Amino acid sequence: MSAAAAYSSRVQELFAAPRRAGSLPDGPGERLAGETAAVERGAWVRFEARVQGGLITAVRFRAWGCPHVLAACEFVAGTLEGQALADLGDLDARWLAEALEVPPEKLGRLLVIEDALRALAAAGGEAH
Amino acid sequence: MSEVPVYLDYAASAPVHPDVAAVMAECLGPSGLHANPSSTHAAGRRASQAIEQARESVAALIGASAGEIVFTSGATESDNLSILGAARAGRERGRHVVTSRTEHRAVIDACRQLEREGFAVTWLTPGADGRVAPAQVHEALRDDTLLVAVMHANNELGVVNDVASIGAGCRDRGVLLHVDAAQSVGRIPVNVADLNADLVAFTAHKLGGPKGIGALWLRERPRPAIQPLQFGGGHERGLRSGTLATHQIVGFGLACRIAAADLPAEELRVRALRERLWSRLEGAGHVRRNGGPGPSVPGILNLRFAGVEGESLALELEGKVQASSGSACSSASAEPSYVLRALGLSDVAAQSSLRLSLGRQTSVADVDRAAASILAAVARLRSLAPAAAIERLA
Repeated sequence: MSAAAAYSSRVQELFAAPRRAGSLPDGPGERLAGETAAVERGAWVRFEARVQGGLITAVRFRAWGCPHVLAACEFVAGTLEGQALADLGDLDARWLAEALEVPPEKLGRLLVIEDALRALAAAGGEAH
Repeated sequence: MSEVPVYLDYAASAPVHPDVAAVMAECLGPSGLHANPSSTHAAGRRASQAIEQARESVAALIGASAGEIVFTSGATESDNLSILGAARAGRERGRHVVTSRTEHRAVIDACRQLEREGFAVTWLTPGADGRVAPAQVHEALRDDTLLVAVMHANNELGVVNDVASIGAGCRDRGVLLHVDAAQSVGRIPVNVADLNADLVAFTAHKLGGPKGIGALWLRERPRPAIQPLQFGGGHERGLRSGTLATHQIVGFGLACRIAAADLPAEELRVRALRERLWSRLEGAGHVRRNGGPGPSVPGILNLRFAGVEGESLALELEGKVQASSGSACSSASAEPSYVLRALGLSDVAAQSSLRLSLGRQTSVADVDRAAASILAAVARLRSLAPAAAIERLA
């Protein structure tokens, strides 16, 4: 079996060309960050978000993990832009697993993404 | 047009040498060696002669005599026949076996089977360099030790054990020594007279021969007692019944002749290529070599890049470099390499490791292309990772 056969085509696309990987460039609005390092669970994820008027206007991520983790971070980052900061903690790892066809044994890694988003939401709460 | 991926998985299996493929095809052709080599008619005798010629070539590669070679289906069967066969034949003399935690699964699983049959097995943990020290083995010997099984070269790390010293101590105590030499035969000079071993397993497909054929060398004097694992026909002096696969054996024989002729030059060439690859990859920074310095087979380079997750690296290299993130034989499992774990590496470090193995068809251009692909993959994955990951996951 080739390495690629273990991943859905969507995961392969997102892994190969993440558009929101890296750090936020300078810009207007408030800059928040949330990070969870859980190496023993197979993932280390950091999100940065720019917030203006309670809305998330830009998101960037950095992640260490398997292709499912990297692809899921890119996917999530894309869904966050335009959302209200108050809605940040709503992501469900099971929904993410279903959307990207992530195998059940990797759900724990997606929970690390959930935790990083909660940390980001908490940073927003502290800032206000 | 996209380039063909660079094949750097020779430790898993080497491409069949073109001359070997040709001679095998001839064997299988209409005027080939189709008769049963056990048959007494002319066609059978022709097949039998070809097999005996091949046996001479296989024996010559390891400094043995043809009568000491038993053909099997590969190193896994040779390991099983040797370990299970010797232990079962000698169970009245002793029921203790010594082996290491970094042996190939063929040896580990055979020893586990012996445990189920009532044998005690001492599992040695190699040093951080990946080698089993002779003193470790000798200290583990007991009055009831029947057999020691230690590999010559490790299949993941390439490090070579001092089998001769291990064997000397075993011989002093009247203990049999089995050596899995699948990774060393044909790649470094191997002479069974120097190994102080009683049983040596090896295979064709690691040295340019076909899959499905291997050999077990049994010392002639004194000859170790072995119980066969399969019955029916009494082939191979009763140790391995079953019609001999003429074309496989002929291919194995030619592969051994080619390996013997080319070994001195190939060993140096491949070793130099490996070091070239390492010097290129060192440029990535935060890269460590698994397995210590010292004697090694020429073609294996096992390393790990800090801050790079192994599964992502494998996908990133898809279509560019064909290598192994561990022993190919166990890569169906997502578990980290037990060999690297035995050396004290964490699960994360073991999973981040990459085994690159070079061989006969590897060229300088291949090495440079593979290095460029790996460096690009490592750089991209690190650029995606949190800044502290490289330092913390070193």
